[in-house]
Amino acid sequence: MEIIAKISKGSNMDQIYIPKIRYGLNVGEYVIIKPLKEEKPIERLYFRNINNIEPMKLEIIKEIIKIIDKNIENENIIITGSFLDKGFNFNDIDIIVITAEIGKKEKNIDNIKEKIIEKINIGSHILILNNKILLDGLSKDPLYLLMLSRCISKKRFIYKIKKRVNYKLLDLHLLKSKILINNFDFLNGDEKYYSLRNMIAISFFLENKKINKNSIEKEIKRIFSLDINKIKQNLINKQDFIKKYKLIYNGVYKKILSGIKNDTKQKQIN
Amino acid sequence: MTQNRNKLIDIFIGNLTNSVVHTILEKAVKEDKDYLADKYRKEFITSLEIAKRYRDKINPANIPLPEKDISFIKEKIIRKVKAELRIRISRGYQEINLNEIDKEVNEALKKTHIS
Repeated sequence: MEIIAKISKGSNMDQIYIPKIRYGLNVGEYVIIKPLKEEKPIERLYFRNINNIEPMKLEIIKEIIKIIDKNIENENIIITGSFLDKGFNFNDIDIIVITAEIGKKEKNIDNIKEKIIEKINIGSHILILNNKILLDGLSKDPLYLLMLSRCISKKRFIYKIKKRVNYKLLDLHLLKSKILINNFDFLNGDEKYYSLRNMIAISFFLENKKINKNSIEKEIKRIFSLDINKIKQNLINKQDFIKKYKLIYNGVYKKILSGIKNDTKQKQIN
Repeated sequence: MTQNRNKLIDIFIGNLTNSVVHTILEKAVKEDKDYLADKYRKEFITSLEIAKRYRDKINPANIPLPEKDISFIKEKIIRKVKAELRIRISRGYQEINLNEIDKEVNEALKKTHIS
């Protein structure tokens, strides 16, 4: 005799309700309770541009994958962001869930976030995407390229994309970096770093340069003669920094505007 | 003190201008609507968020500003937004709707409790 039942939450103890009218499983008998779906152990993970990671972080990633697998049917789970940097100086874990069921399962995100906090006590930022949006983003958004240039995933993923420069979109993204020019004193080190990184990534994208964390940080160091940690710790000389920042911003902005102009001309010819 | 208030209003105007320009440009790239809705740029503090913080420092903080201030701020933002968008239009950017400016500025002023 087997019965499938759901565990429900109780005040002191959780419980499983089973129908009163049944064959066997009498009151007072001892029974075995086990999950309906056998948990498959995660056999291996796939690493992209990661040479070294703390074993503890790998365990955390495996636990996160287990939690997500239980809650969302997915094609892949990708862990990215500062969690993968050396050490434990991260705020939260960036997770991308690739699923065909985008839109339907958005409500599950809060549930997953809660479970991750319950299990490992770390906050998470979860993005639910389908393959189409992911590939679309990778073809035209420098920050997508940056995000996936270094990651760990549940399954191997190979993306071959045709780069498409959408100047209007880049214009919109660059606008986010404009904040730093007028609000230097107001922003903290991390916010300054993200504005800077965004601007350099857009510039690299326009110049067909390889986009990854190392290449961008190398460029920031080269232009500003500044250590990345100093930027993040907000230890920057305003005058010197803003002067160079404005120069680069205006250069990238001009390139985008000429791109828009050329695109319009092209459309008119066509 | 007045000078300080004027400076705060100036920075507030700059941020709200950026926010309105962003909203209007976002509407102009309709074909990328799905992709833009991905909310993955979580690290970025938005111009509207900064504007709200500056607003809290401008007196009176808890009630709408006097009518004279509102019209001064509104006019200045509209002028700045138009200038920003016209630069783009002059380069051939086609889907920008200048008629949206007034509505968007009014909404932004409400969101920041200016009006």
